[in-house]
Amino acid sequence: MSSRPDLIGEAGLQFFGRMSASISHELKNVLAIIKENSGLLDDYLNLTARGMPLDPERFQAVTRRIDTQTQRANTIIKTMNQFAHTVDSFCKPVDLNQVLDLLVALHNRLATMQQVTLEVQPAREPVQITTSPFVLLSALGQGVSFALPAVPRGAAMALATVSTNTGGEIIFSGLNEPGALSMDGFPGDQGDALLAALRAELKIDAATGRMTFVLPRK
Amino acid sequence: MRILLVDDEQELASALAERLNMRGIDADWVTTVDEALRKVTATSYDLAVLDMRMPMTSGLELKALLQAQDPRLKFIFVTGYGSEKDFEAVSCQAGEACYLVKPVDITLLIERMHDLLDSPGGEP
Repeated sequence: MSSRPDLIGEAGLQFFGRMSASISHELKNVLAIIKENSGLLDDYLNLTARGMPLDPERFQAVTRRIDTQTQRANTIIKTMNQFAHTVDSFCKPVDLNQVLDLLVALHNRLATMQQVTLEVQPAREPVQITTSPFVLLSALGQGVSFALPAVPRGAAMALATVSTNTGGEIIFSGLNEPGALSMDGFPGDQGDALLAALRAELKIDAATGRMTFVLPRK
Repeated sequence: MRILLVDDEQELASALAERLNMRGIDADWVTTVDEALRKVTATSYDLAVLDMRMPMTSGLELKALLQAQDPRLKFIFVTGYGSEKDFEAVSCQAGEACYLVKPVDITLLIERMHDLLDSPGGEP
């Protein structure tokens, strides 16, 4: 395509695709673990049928693994469901603490792949604003993609919510990799369009390793 | 046959290694690139089974690192993505038969291992 008539739609679709790919990959891993461990149980039973004594502790250890992975899959699917419902309404009251929880749940795997831990630091009270949950998540998701390479390998990136007189803020900190926090190409046309739609402001402070999304109450 | 499994999902790598061991294949497993490099330096493996997506690296990058340690080593890649991008990346460098999508069928995996190790050049 030679023109880009809808930057918000384009950014949103790309974000949706990126998250769907990450979620499907993690589910594939869970299925692979369940398949291999159920296969292992079969193998134990086949050995028992050939006269080898069954070791109950080993058997139970494998069933516990399968149970753990089933719970993991359930958590992933809950996150996917919450994410899917963010497009239900394009303007609604949201609690930034809950948005942050979903943002981190969606990005934990991507962060792990870059050897970064995500730490949630929610405000003590709910931080209510009225906005588009999906557009907000798309903008924050772009922020995570930009920020992760700026976190030293093996370190943590903290994500905090703060209530302000005019709305709320989401603050990313720990972006301390020297020289990595350059705004070249960020937020870019798509990011600018998302921020404009949210009537939000983005502040990046390379000296303190912080990036702040300033969000209006309405 | 001595093989090394490299996957950051420990519960996958350990279970698969145990199942391969039961089938007479001497399989070790590791979950990180550093461990894989240490293992390949210390032990002579015939083949490595690599996850395409590891923290901070790809299966193809890891292949290059391991091959630098042991040029004789052969490879099978597994991935959860099953994407065209992964498929093209691996098939042009390692041959179509070296690429399997999770969840992997153990019988198919063992067939692929034999295909690779029995072929003269190592490539199918």
